[in-house]
Amino acid sequence: MRDGIEAAKQGLPALALVTDAFWPQGDFVAKSFGMPNLPRLQLPHPIAGTGQARMQAVAEDLVDDMIKALSA
Amino acid sequence: MTDKLFAENEAEALEQLHAQGLTDGLPVVIPTDERVARMVLATGQAAELSLGDMGPAGGSATIEKIAVAAVMAGCLPDHMPVVIAAIEAILNPAFDLTEMQATTHCTAPLILVNGPARAACGGIASGFGALGPGFRANASIGRAVRLAMMNIGGARPGVSDMALLGHPGKFSYCLAEDEASSPFEPLHVARGFNVEDSVVTVVGAEAPHSVMYSGDADAGDDHERLLNVLAIGLANLATNNAALTGGAAVVVLNPEHANILAGAGLARADICAALYDRCVHTTEALAAVNPGFASRLKPGALRHCFKDPSQILVLVAGGSGLYSMVMPSWCAGGHRNEAVSQAIVLDSFCEIPTRVEINDVFV
Repeated sequence: MRDGIEAAKQGLPALALVTDAFWPQGDFVAKSFGMPNLPRLQLPHPIAGTGQARMQAVAEDLVDDMIKALSA
Repeated sequence: MTDKLFAENEAEALEQLHAQGLTDGLPVVIPTDERVARMVLATGQAAELSLGDMGPAGGSATIEKIAVAAVMAGCLPDHMPVVIAAIEAILNPAFDLTEMQATTHCTAPLILVNGPARAACGGIASGFGALGPGFRANASIGRAVRLAMMNIGGARPGVSDMALLGHPGKFSYCLAEDEASSPFEPLHVARGFNVEDSVVTVVGAEAPHSVMYSGDADAGDDHERLLNVLAIGLANLATNNAALTGGAAVVVLNPEHANILAGAGLARADICAALYDRCVHTTEALAAVNPGFASRLKPGALRHCFKDPSQILVLVAGGSGLYSMVMPSWCAGGHRNEAVSQAIVLDSFCEIPTRVEINDVFV
């Protein structure tokens, strides 16, 4: 979330990828840093350590939404 | 100006504070106007003076808001110089507080106090059981910092403070160095301060890990064996220090163990260097337990757990006996959650006469 906020502050297109377990924290940080509407997409939790195949599958599921969000 | 709540009486006020998530789960002293004003007055500072913004919520750490936390924690006015210095220390960017508050790791600011403030600020314990219950200054100072981190910094379990389990030091984690029993120079002198200074040092630390060693004065390698067992505790392959490397860690020697090392002619810097040398792992050892953290290392390479010996903070505290303590750290964040030392200002504080009104007290 912080990376997305820092990128957005520099005028770069930004999209935060946040797992569902961290979704409330993402909201909290976005509000705290003055960017409550920073675009974000929800990932299943956990994502780290779940293996290349699953990460590839999650990425394929989300890629269209990611491109759409970054093109908006 | 701090937002105010209104209640008919103190019992109702306490329930309001609990219900709004403004406590640490234990009862607090109700921060009434009068109590907060007296605590602010004791600091000799303006209520609206801000020490900085505290993440992740970005609340302004004003003297008044810090005083609210201190009142709630049960602090005496005498404790305030240490509370304020500790808040200044954790707000130092090198401490990475915003990230530390949000991490999934179990970390809390360990507050170490050196110099005359140990006695002048309410008698901060450094002997038997100093990190346990029974010592008002230790309990209240650490608790005030925690309540500030929650209510100014906005750390809420599972929402903004993502510690997976946390540890009991997140209620309070404060002790003084037992300078009188130590054969070494005080910790703050090793960190560049004068011996007559009062200093607080904060480290983002795990809970204490016990390190047992039974001394044997007839053994020529007594001190070597003690160093070895301390290093086993510090360089535990399950810690962030071993897996991530960098950051600081704390070694609390009990006086008996400190004297074994001093008796072998070791100064504090020698101990830090000896522990640094021993806190090292091979790529293969790391890969065997956490391969993801060893993937960029060359086969057969050695990796130290710490950047340099100064990252190992050695102090003397606790009763004498078999057990010393080590506290590994979180050691992440942009600055690797650096240990920060901050001078405690004693001479700007006012003495506030105590006024107590008691009707019925049950003991």
